Amino acid sequence: MTVPFCTTDLEAYLDEALPVEEMAGIEKALRDDPSLARQLAAIIARRDSGLISLGEVWRRHRLSCPTRQELGSFLLGVLPDDAANYVTFHLEVVGCRCCQANVADLKNRSAETQSSAENRRRKYFQSSAGHLPRKS
Amino acid sequence: MDISTSSSETLLISRIRSGEAEAWDEFIARYEGRLLGFVVRRVANRAAAEDLVQETFVGFLNSLPNYDPDQSLEGYLFSIAAHKLTDFLRHEGRRPTMPLVTEESSDGWQPVDRGRRASSIVRSRERHGLEESAMVRAVGEMIAHWRRRGQWERLQCIELLWVRGWSNKEVATRLGISEQTVANYKFETIARLRTAIAGQGLPEEVFPELYQ
Repeated sequence: MTVPFCTTDLEAYLDEALPVEEMAGIEKALRDDPSLARQLAAIIARRDSGLISLGEVWRRHRLSCPTRQELGSFLLGVLPDDAANYVTFHLEVVGCRCCQANVADLKNRSAETQSSAENRRRKYFQSSAGHLPRKS
Repeated sequence: MDISTSSSETLLISRIRSGEAEAWDEFIARYEGRLLGFVVRRVANRAAAEDLVQETFVGFLNSLPNYDPDQSLEGYLFSIAAHKLTDFLRHEGRRPTMPLVTEESSDGWQPVDRGRRASSIVRSRERHGLEESAMVRAVGEMIAHWRRRGQWERLQCIELLWVRGWSNKEVATRLGISEQTVANYKFETIARLRTAIAGQGLPEEVFPELYQ
């Protein structure tokens, strides 16, 4: 079976950075095609040898991601048209998961009830505060 | 985006490092929503998604002594969340097992081949880090230049080629430009990056894509 995934897709898959639907597509293909696992292993070996692609650098450091402030302005509709068009492209065509998560968060902050967010944050705090460094 | 940690984040981390519970509370309030937004689309079960965010925060505190403030804090948190998510999906049987976790990591989230030994690493981590930083600077400056000049089409073109791995033809179709224009953007970008990389004294083999 010929697998329709390019190396860039597989690199992004390893970093959990592909759009959700494409992640699921690769996971399904991996179950059916052992050669795909070998391609992934080759990418890991290449990374281990110190070679990293431009796409990996770009994605890992989020070099073209809009700032959270820009995403907020985008949601408010106050970004200039060309910048807003780029944000739409970045979210929908590139499918940047981190920026999608930020947009979802910004939307939820205005829609979610205060108490449900506070309950969740209290739970996170109680389960993690024991790992804080000791006060000096 | 600004890839380094902002001064307010640096201050917050400094307070967390000194054990201030209020700072940790503030940190959670600031980041939990976006982390939940990141994992929840991959995990149908909301409670499991919240557990992953919880593990991400614990992972962050455990790795705090190694956190480098020159790195984006949000990016660092997303990378921890991605590895927690990967582990979860592997345990759920959705993600096939791949040797991705190093034995060196006490927290178990760093994406390195388990079977790797130091002797097999061709280039040292330090050298590798310097090369990557040089490329981050070069590409970051180029993107900032395009943004300032409103060259959004060029940015979109190169992003689709390198970040999504699309072919020249696919990019041309999506952006409604000719394949020749795509080729020109690519050629000019590579030339610019080659100059920047050479100017920093790095050898050609570091990023072979620029010399193919």
